[in-house]
Amino acid sequence: MSVVTESTSQVIAARGHNRRVLTNRQREERWGFFFISPWLIGFALFTLFPMIASLIFTTYDFTLSVPDEAKFIGLDNWRRMLFEDETVWRSLWITIRYAFLSLPIGMIVAFLLAVLLNSKHLMGKAVFRTLFYAPTMIPGIASILIFVQVFNPYTGWVNRIIEVFGIKAMGVTGLRWFDDPNLIYLAFVFIGLYGIGNTIVINLAGLQGVPTELYEAATIDGASWFTSLYRITLPMVSPVIFYNLVLGTIGSLQYFTVPFVINGGSGYPDGTTEFFMIHFFKQTFRFSNMGYGATLAWLIFVIALVATLALFGTSRRWVYYAGESNR
Amino acid sequence: MRKLKLLACLMVILAITAGLSGTSVRAADPVKIRWFVGLGTGSETEKIPVQEEVVKAFNESHPDIILELEIVANNDAYTALNTQFAAGNAPDVVGPVGIRGRDQFPGAWLDLSDLIKETNYDLSDFDPALVDFYNVPGQGQLGLPFGIYPSFLFVNTDLFDEAGLPYPPAKFGEPYVDKDGNSVEWNMDTLRTLAMDLTVDTNGLTPNDEGFDADQIVQFGFGAQWTDLRGRCSLFGAALPVDADGKAVFPESWSTCTQWFQDAMWKDHFHPNGPYGGSDILNKSNWFQSGNIAMVQVHTWYFANLNDSKFNWNLAVVPSYNGKATAKLHADTFMISKATKHPKEAFAVLSYLVGEASGKLTTLYGAMPARKSLQADYLAKLGESPAFAGREGMNMQVIPDSAAYNDNPNHEAGLPNALESSDRITKFWTALENDPAFDLAVEIPLLVADLQTLYDVK
Repeated sequence: MSVVTESTSQVIAARGHNRRVLTNRQREERWGFFFISPWLIGFALFTLFPMIASLIFTTYDFTLSVPDEAKFIGLDNWRRMLFEDETVWRSLWITIRYAFLSLPIGMIVAFLLAVLLNSKHLMGKAVFRTLFYAPTMIPGIASILIFVQVFNPYTGWVNRIIEVFGIKAMGVTGLRWFDDPNLIYLAFVFIGLYGIGNTIVINLAGLQGVPTELYEAATIDGASWFTSLYRITLPMVSPVIFYNLVLGTIGSLQYFTVPFVINGGSGYPDGTTEFFMIHFFKQTFRFSNMGYGATLAWLIFVIALVATLALFGTSRRWVYYAGESNR
Repeated sequence: MRKLKLLACLMVILAITAGLSGTSVRAADPVKIRWFVGLGTGSETEKIPVQEEVVKAFNESHPDIILELEIVANNDAYTALNTQFAAGNAPDVVGPVGIRGRDQFPGAWLDLSDLIKETNYDLSDFDPALVDFYNVPGQGQLGLPFGIYPSFLFVNTDLFDEAGLPYPPAKFGEPYVDKDGNSVEWNMDTLRTLAMDLTVDTNGLTPNDEGFDADQIVQFGFGAQWTDLRGRCSLFGAALPVDADGKAVFPESWSTCTQWFQDAMWKDHFHPNGPYGGSDILNKSNWFQSGNIAMVQVHTWYFANLNDSKFNWNLAVVPSYNGKATAKLHADTFMISKATKHPKEAFAVLSYLVGEASGKLTTLYGAMPARKSLQADYLAKLGESPAFAGREGMNMQVIPDSAAYNDNPNHEAGLPNALESSDRITKFWTALENDPAFDLAVEIPLLVADLQTLYDVK
């Protein structure tokens, strides 16, 4: 009997001990969930559920103003998008073509400006850094409207400056930046450069994180500025470049504001400004085709996801993370 | 025991909920009607108090209804209303809103025909053509006449004086008397001739002079401001790009019109083309306010832009085409949401807004009352407004006279698949006003074919 009592008390003690260990862990987990719950709730309410809802919308012919008349149409929206709507593929091609032009230019210019702003030879660094960052604080639409005037073929100062060099630029036979399919992307890229302050700052932060001993050692070894840039700076800031590349790629796929403000979504000239997001916006909000709009949104989401995963796949080959080589 | 407590709590909550819902459906309780403002005018801060006064007066005179005012800034109003419709939380009454704003919400509006019949609503104070204006085939009578905005010519008299040219006529049917005293019919040809005389480059030359530089224009003769292809072509007579059978057409008057405007922009240079129209010379797009254009066609809602005008201006009638003058008309009204649970009460509100409150609200919104009985008072009040204050010899009668020459069918009248077909027409005009090489012979058949495809969709 006493044996039984002893073993029972041992079991109870053991259980009590286990419960205490489990309770502590659970308590920690609970507190953890408690502290991240605002984000979890926000994510669920404003991202996860809307995404699920939009996936369901893709199977409906759904107009916001008459929700009662929403009709289940199965995969018709997907069929229309993939096989019938020519604008989808044309606008995707326009978007990708423009991304291949604007993304490298934007990233290279931002990087070179960051190198310049990080140079020990530059006087008034703080002033220049402020000046290059300042445009990002101006609302995008306001700055685009200014550029509409800057590039005006009759009155804009870009054409006036070009004429100083003896090139016929003004007027209907001159450089019509927003009317000529061969010039419009250049104008858009130029407008895009106006807002690269954020990318410059991120690059600058990366450059300032490169240990100066590496440059000192390279200088002693007789390395030129270009060699230092190529052999030290670029590898050391490659995570930052990678970060900018991922954000830039996603941003390029979502390119919308500039063509929308300048061309009102008309696609003029010759459909060159009918970017994918313009098509999405018009279908969803101008024509109220919410079901079809949701389908288009899913397509661009999948493309952005694939592009991002592909970039991550390549990152092992060219992005240098200090410390990883020891693994 | 715990389960029992939980059950008891649940029952108490259910009982309270049932009690609350029971009290909310008592028959004697007034019905709540929501009035949504923001799709057109009305959301401006200075206009809110007057609308609140209207609501207060309505509530005092209608104990069975509680009218609630919902004002949303114009920029957000379309999204907000769409969201409310989608959430099943639509307002009962919406407006003031024009035809284009109304058509942004296809299928959302109640046909008022039965309510008009049931209540024996008195329509005798309206022009029958204006009542019919709101009768949309397939959708019914979507509104009642409330406020109208006739269009006419705004004339910069300083520029005419500088050029030594007489002003255009202020009465329909009157000829234009030129600087040599010759009377000529006031038509689109005369407008062209006059506008070319008023277009000037940096050297002071007009398009009629040798050496005129079309790349250095500083003053234009004429512009159809803030409108689209359909609005512009109404100068050549009212027409729709769809026939009675739902077939896409490019009306003959539109062929003349598009050629006229193409020449005006790219050959005769008296009308701003796209780049000039958006330039600083013409105050971005507010052409007449810039003081650098002699004549524009706009509606009465433009007067507020001339409150601080530094130049002298007056009004003139639109020219005729083929002997007939057509002055396009904008019209605002109130709609009832099809989703309303209280159509009768909503109609009572709508009747009040287009009835007793009509004078007060049209004055507030800058519209001419659609009620004939209120129109005389409108001109007197308009003459005292900031745009007209201190100006003498203004041709005020042009305003009501122009209403009588309105475009029917209206240039904003609904088309099949209105949103997408309007977008296609806008594309056509955007290319026309920006591309000097735009080939009308090629583009018109393409437009018609595309419109037919869009009409066939819905």
